[in-house]
Formats: sequence, structure tokens, C-alpha cells
Amino acid sequence: MTQTRPGPVQYAVLVLLAIAFLYPIWWAVSSSLKPAAEIIASPLSIGELTLDNYRAMFADVPIGTGFANTALVLVVKGAMTMFFCPLAGYAFAKYAFPGKNLLFGVVLLTLMLPTLVLIIPLLLEMSALGWVNTYQALILPGSVDAFSIFWMRQTIAAIPDELIDAGRVDGAGEFGIFARVVLPVIRPGLAALAVLTTMNIYNDFVWPVVAVNDTAHQTLQVVLSTLAQNVTGNRIGADFATVWGELLAAGSIALLPLLVIFVLLQRHFINGILAGSVKG
Amino acid sequence: MSLSPIDRRGFLKGALGIGALAATGGALTACAPGTGPGAQPSRLAKPTVSASSAKGEITIWNRSGDLFKVFDAAIAKFREAYPGVTVNHQAVDIDAKLANTLISGTDVPDGSFWDDAKIGGQAEHLFDLTDLIAPYRDQTSPYKLSVNTVEGRIYGVPWDLDPGLLWYREDVLEQAGVDPAGLATYDDLLAAARTIKEKDPKTRPIHLEKTPFLGQLWLEMLANQQGTSLADARGELRLDSPEYRRIFGWIQDAVKDGLVTHAPYLEPADVNTLDSGQQVFVPWAIWWSFAPQQLLKATTGKWRAAPLPAWTPGGARSGAMGGSSFVIPAKAKNPELAWLLYEFLCFKEPGYTAVYGPNDVYPGGLSTSIPSYQPALDPAKPLFQPIEALGGQDLWKVAVDAAATIPAAAPIPWWWAQSVDYLGDNLQRLMDGTMSPDQVIADSSEKIQRNLIDRS
Amino acid sequence: MRSVRLSPYLFIAPFLLVFAAFGVYPLIYALQLSFMRWRGAGAARWVGLDNYLYLLTSPEFWASLGNSAVMWLLIVPIQIVAGLGGAVLLANAKLKLRGLFRVAFIAPFVTPLVAMAQVWIVVFDQDYGLINYALNLVGLPDVGWLTSTVWSKPTLALLFLWKTTGFAIIILLAGLQAVPGAVYEAAALDGASRWRQFWSITVPLVRRSMAFLVVVQTLAVFQMFAEPYVVTEGGPYGSTTTAGLYLYEHITASDLGTGAANSFLLVLLVFGLSLVSVRLLRPKDEVS
Repeated sequence: MTQTRPGPVQYAVLVLLAIAFLYPIWWAVSSSLKPAAEIIASPLSIGELTLDNYRAMFADVPIGTGFANTALVLVVKGAMTMFFCPLAGYAFAKYAFPGKNLLFGVVLLTLMLPTLVLIIPLLLEMSALGWVNTYQALILPGSVDAFSIFWMRQTIAAIPDELIDAGRVDGAGEFGIFARVVLPVIRPGLAALAVLTTMNIYNDFVWPVVAVNDTAHQTLQVVLSTLAQNVTGNRIGADFATVWGELLAAGSIALLPLLVIFVLLQRHFINGILAGSVKG
Repeated sequence: MSLSPIDRRGFLKGALGIGALAATGGALTACAPGTGPGAQPSRLAKPTVSASSAKGEITIWNRSGDLFKVFDAAIAKFREAYPGVTVNHQAVDIDAKLANTLISGTDVPDGSFWDDAKIGGQAEHLFDLTDLIAPYRDQTSPYKLSVNTVEGRIYGVPWDLDPGLLWYREDVLEQAGVDPAGLATYDDLLAAARTIKEKDPKTRPIHLEKTPFLGQLWLEMLANQQGTSLADARGELRLDSPEYRRIFGWIQDAVKDGLVTHAPYLEPADVNTLDSGQQVFVPWAIWWSFAPQQLLKATTGKWRAAPLPAWTPGGARSGAMGGSSFVIPAKAKNPELAWLLYEFLCFKEPGYTAVYGPNDVYPGGLSTSIPSYQPALDPAKPLFQPIEALGGQDLWKVAVDAAATIPAAAPIPWWWAQSVDYLGDNLQRLMDGTMSPDQVIADSSEKIQRNLIDRS
Repeated sequence: MRSVRLSPYLFIAPFLLVFAAFGVYPLIYALQLSFMRWRGAGAARWVGLDNYLYLLTSPEFWASLGNSAVMWLLIVPIQIVAGLGGAVLLANAKLKLRGLFRVAFIAPFVTPLVAMAQVWIVVFDQDYGLINYALNLVGLPDVGWLTSTVWSKPTLALLFLWKTTGFAIIILLAGLQAVPGAVYEAAALDGASRWRQFWSITVPLVRRSMAFLVVVQTLAVFQMFAEPYVVTEGGPYGSTTTAGLYLYEHITASDLGTGAANSFLLVLLVFGLSLVSVRLLRPKDEVS
């Protein structure tokens, strides 16, 4: 609308919405600091604060291993996505070459395919390669994904051809144009891709649960989902509250790094999405 | 404590379900499906070594939690008898991992604890233990043997037996003038419930299970009591039978007369009505025993156990509800040593005594199941002690006497857990009064046949 | 010139290699499986279209689509309206604490689903959940949020809305900020009411972002799996067995061929729905 100063009604709506969005996170984090038995007994009040849930969780669950594995996968897999996808997106956006449309069509098709259907064939493939319980299995599948390629193609397509031709006239090689002309221009889009990729890799749990059976390769989400299964399994017993407290503690710890990254990068992320979808 | 005897989620769904894939077999040479015939079962022969000369290391998987601690102590006893064997005892989310591990063939344990319901569908990944179990066969619970037998061969070392019992409030029965010893048939149970309800109209004396999965497991206990089960040994559905009709009719009568509390197993709604006196009878497996010990603060000490009523006069007074066995994967590195461990735990006195007898975790002994090996089941020689939360009742004797009547069944079909979507849900509709017994039988049979059996 | 012809291939080569091995190969494998009966063990049998026919004649298959359709109705329209409202408020440059609000709205989007789904289970528990506890405080009776067939879908839809509406706001905000302020000023001079400005200027201009959002969320809703899997296991009485979860149930039952066939039917459906929504939301003046 016209940029009038927002009134109290607008502020009230925004504040209420913000509370609704933040409350479940606040509830999870604050409950993780309460004595386990009180999480259920008095869900609304906060009395005594304790780190017992965290102590129990660290003693019971290999969350350190989980963090280390997630970090490793995140760095390697994320780097692959962040390099290969813009590179391929550039080729799809700015070159005409035989087979291009067919290839891009296949990319779009896999974008629509439920990820679940690939799980079985992928698991059999990993098994045939002897890759079950390896980092390759966690890193390679999904390291270049249809969405990122699509997103990068859209972003790069918006760059005026003149800019690229100018680079060519200046005598830059084809890769040089990509590195020195294209990448700097799409920096906001790259920032958004980085945040989305980080989030997807960090929060992925279906594939890691399937691909890895041993504790040594468990990612953070696998640790979390195992703990969540314990909650369901123990619901009938007295341990329920304890396991619950541990899950909330682990969940809070798992949520923190991403939240911090996001708060730090939110401006770039949002600007990237803005830049990308305006032109897309 | 929460020795949860059943990991509900794992049992129901498997490892994100991929568990079911374990049927894949080792024939994954190429990615073209089905390149090889099903692998021949590998037979395990009796180890020739003696106790003192057995040497090596084995990796054994168990569920995490208190049960793990109990087995840890029992394994220490095994080490005393077999000093040359090192046991790497691991607490593992078995339901999530074992099936996947069997497919991939990497890091396979030498032995693992597993639900009886899983074993029938996975036989080709397991050692055929028929010859090893032969010497103990005649003395093992026929029910446990039957669920571990596929096409005449035995694939699991039978571990716990979980007899169904009738849990009741002694004080309430006494006030109403009901003699628990007179509850010989399910009709007697209905009559007793009516008497109690007349005395106190607030009561809805009989527990009916509200979670579809446990409800169906409970149904199978009542069917097993009559010598039947959902599928016969050839895997054919036998739901349309007088036995099941009898159970469904009984449930319908109880619901119509307002004699039931329909609540989810030991969740707060259940615990509250158990403690308030609304529920008086709980026909359930022996593992319900931890409820009065741990969860029922108001009525602890007032509960007792009796054998289940019979469906027909003189019929069996118990049926099995759940249970587990030990399996040795066909790709185990030291299967002989794993067998020695399981033989010790299941069939040797120091072994089963270490698990069920008084120990550090359970000072009075483990009272949520009993062994399936009959020499261990002497009514006069209890492994676990009388239980205070049951007013000092000797649960051991009640359970052992009831268990002796449990009839044999058939291997549990691979689709049992999936069938809960049909039979388990319809059983709930029967309990809600929105389906009749005939509808439950017709609808469940049709759907199980079409969506599960015919798709195999 | 030579290098210009070769370079696109070099540029897509790494992507192609990984994509072929871990995207296309499993895809073809799955397609082949969809025409076979294979329980994971033993020989696979070629059954032609049988898996597809079985699904198309299964009441359970149609019920799963119905469940997803209801979820779609509960999610997408609300998300578009709420997202647009939030975006309009946030687009105002004179708004104080803009950054803070943006962070608040998108924070749920970055939370791990496994943990938050467990929070949902406890918060909406019938007997000891936070919501019913609060209802009781103001004298209202318990609601079976996750145990009644009436409420189970809205409760799951709420989880989905909570997690992704922030994303929708950002996408729509992107569309809004492309609207030059001058357009509004001109309209204001013309004396158009704020409401008219919204309908005649804002909405047409964010159509493209809305179309993008509808396509992405349609895809997500029809593939929705983790939420019902963790929170309700598809119950009560199959009321939350979404298309994604139903597909997964074939996998649990080791009916891999049917699972594959089910995925391809879903792809067709989602593709059709996307085409329809893109067409409906396309700006009127665009031809192609």
C-alpha cells in the first residue's frame, strides 16, 4: 500500500502472530530446562530451572558424534551443491546445446517425484556398492538436487546477455565469465541457496536413518529420531517423562545452531529470495 | 523401570518401514530386481567345542533400557562358564536397525533379541536352528515353538512366554460377593461384571483396549486360547471362524450392557479409571504386572492375578500375548559361540535364573514374563518373588499354571503388523458399537486378503 | 568458438554424473519396479499395469488422495491469505522492528521437524496436553485433537502451517516489493480506497509469486509424509493417512512395485494440479 505509518491494529496483529510463531519454540526450549516430571504435570508454568535433562541426554545419546557427522556432511555436501548447481544452472540458462531441453525436462520431473520413491532403489544401490554405513552414502545422493538447479537457472537467466558478452569481449574464458561475472551478480541468490541448502541438509532425516545403521555415522537428526522413537516406545512406562526431557533437550540444542545462522544471515537470505523470485 | 515389553512403534512400523525390506535377501548383486532365487537357509550344526575350549568374540544386540542391564548381568554369568568367549553386548534400537543390517550384510551381529512377530518373515536371513534345539524341543512351550517354525524348521531360540491372565480388584470382588475362583468362563466374567455394576452403577468393570495395535494383539491372545490365530501355517486367513465369532460376540454383549471401559493401555485416561475403581477386570498379558507396581498409586496392593476364564467349559485358561526370541543371522561371524550363549540363557539353570531371579535391577526378580523352557517352570520353585503390589500374591505360580495350558499356534505372518490398519481399526469400531461382528469379519478379511495376502 | 561449444557440457558434467548415478538411475529403476511384483526377495515378476490397476481400484488409494485434498484445502488457501496479510504488513518500510518480525515468522521454518512433531504430540495430547489444559482453565471441555477423526487433520495442518507460513510470507513479500511505490501513489491520487488498491494493484502484481507458492505447496502437501508418520501414524481410523504416507505403507509391507506405481500416479496428479493452478493464477495480460 501507500507507505503510511502502521497503526496500533497492525502492530497488535503482528505481535500476536509473532507470539504464535515463537511460542512452540519457546515452550520446547523452556520445558527442556524444567525437571522432567514437571513438563507434563504443569505444562504452562515455569518454576525451578535445571540442566538435568541436558545431563541425562549427554550421558545417554551420542549427540556429539551426531553434531560432528552433521557438520562434516554439511560442509562437503553443501560445498558440492553450492558449486555444481550454479555451474550447471549457468549452462542451462545461457548456452544452447543439443540435449539441453531433454535434460532439463528430466530435472523438472525429479522435482515432482516424491523423494520416498527413490529411497528403496537408492538403498539397494548403496548396498550393491557396499556403501551402507559410509559418509559417501550420506553425502553423494542429493548433493545436486533438482530444486537447486532449477532455482539457479532461473536466477542466472535474469542476467542480461550483454553483461556476459561483455565479459567474452574482454577475453575472459567461459569459466572465467562464470566465476568473475555470473557469480558476483547472483550473490543474493547464492546466499538464499546457501541458507536453504544448509537447512535441508541439517534437517534431513529420512535418508540418513535408512542409509546408516551404526552409531559412528549417525547424524544429528538420526540421533533425534532414535530418541523420538524411545519416547513413543516408552510412553506406557514410567520412563516417559525422562525420555521426554531428553528429547526436548536434544531438540533445543539441535535447533540452536540453525536459528543462530538464520538470524545472522536472514537479511541475505531474504534479499536472495526477493532477488530470485522477482526475476523468476 | 518401564521394561516396555513391546516397542509399539518399532513393532508396528519397522525401521522407517525399510525394515520390511529385509526380505530382500543377499541377492543384491546387480540392481536389477530379483536376479537370484531365494537363498537356501543355512543350517547351524552343534559346536564341537567344550565350555573351557570355546574361544572367540561375539557381538550381541539387545534392546536398551533395564532389560539390557539384566542381560548384562546374565552374560557375566555366561563368561564364568565360558571364560574363553568375549561378549560384546550392545544396546541397539533393534526394530530400527536389525532388518536393515540383514539386508546390507555389513556389521551383522552374531545374535540378537527379536519380536516373535518379525521372525517368520525373515527366516531366510537367519540360521536354521532346528538341530540345535532338538534336545530341548519336547520341553519347550508348544506356542513358542510354533511361532518360530517356518516350513518345519526353527529359526529362533524361544525366549520369553507371556501368558494372558485375568487381573482383578480383590477388594471390589469381595464387596460384591463375587468369588474369583468361580470365574471359569467368559460368560461367568460378564455375569460378575453385571453384579458389580448393580452394586455400584459408576463402574464399567471390564477393560477394552483402545489402541488398534494392542487391541489386535489382545484379540490374538483370546484366539490363541482357543487354539487358533489370524493365519494358519500355510499363511491362509482364518478370521471367519466360530472362535473369532465367539470373541467378537462377547465383546459386543459387554459393550451393549455398558460393562466396559474403553481406554488406551496405561495412558493417563486408563490409569485414572483403574485407580478410581471404575475398572475392575483387566484380561491382559503378565506384563501388566508392572502397572500396580509402578503406575497405580491409589490401588496398588489391591490387584490380583488369576488365570483367564475359558471360552468353553474346560477350555484353555490362557493364551500368549507378545513375546520375543533370539536369532542368529546367517551372516554371523561366530554363530556357534552365539548359540552357546543363547543355549546358556534359555536352557541352563544359571542362565535363566540370572535373568528372572532376584538381581540388582529387579530385587524381587523379573516378573513381566516367564521362560518358555518347561524345566524352568516349576510352580514350587519360583524364579521371581511374591509381589507386594499384588498383596503378596505368588504371581509365579499363577502364571506358570496358566501358561501350561497355552495351545500351539502358527508362525506369525509377515503382514500381521500391516493388518492392524484393517482388523485393528475394525475391532475398535466393534468396541465403539459402530460395527457388528459379521461386519468386522467380512470387511477385515476382504481387505487383508486383497491388500496384503494377494499382493505377496 | 570451440570452447564455447564444449563448455556447457563441461559445466553440467559434475552435476550430470551425480544426478545420473543417484537421481536418474534410481528413477528408472523405480519406473521398472512399478510394472513388477517384487517383495524384495526372490524373483521379480513382470505384471504389466497390474499395480496401477490395483491402486486405481483401491478404496484406500482414493481415500489417501481424499485426505490429502482435505489437507490441501486446510493449508493452501489459509497460507495464501495469511501469507499475503503478513507480507503486506511487513512490506511497510515505516514499520518498526521489521527485522525482528521477519525472524519471528520464519523461525519455525528452520526447526527440526522430528523434534517439533513430538512437541505437537504432547501439546495436543487429549489428557495432559497444554491446549486442553488451557481449555479446561477457561471452563471448556477436552478436545481429542489427535484422537478424533474430525480434529486430526486440522491439528496436523496447523503443524504444517506453523512451519511453512513464514516461508510463504517471504515469497509473497518478494512479489510485493517488486511493485513500484509510484503505482500506489498514482492510485492514491486517483482517490482509490486502500481496499481497492489492494485488490486492483497488489493482488494482480503478486500473482506470479502466488502461483509459485501454490505449486511448491501443492507438491509439499501431496507428498506430506513425516508429519503424519511421526504425529499420528496415519490414524485415527486412517484419517491422516495422506497420499505420501499411503505410498510409504506399501514400502513397509514390502510391496515395492505398488509403492513405485503409487509414486508415479502421484507425480501425474501433482503435475496436473500444478498446471491448473499456474493457469488460474497467471496474470491476465500474459499470453504464453
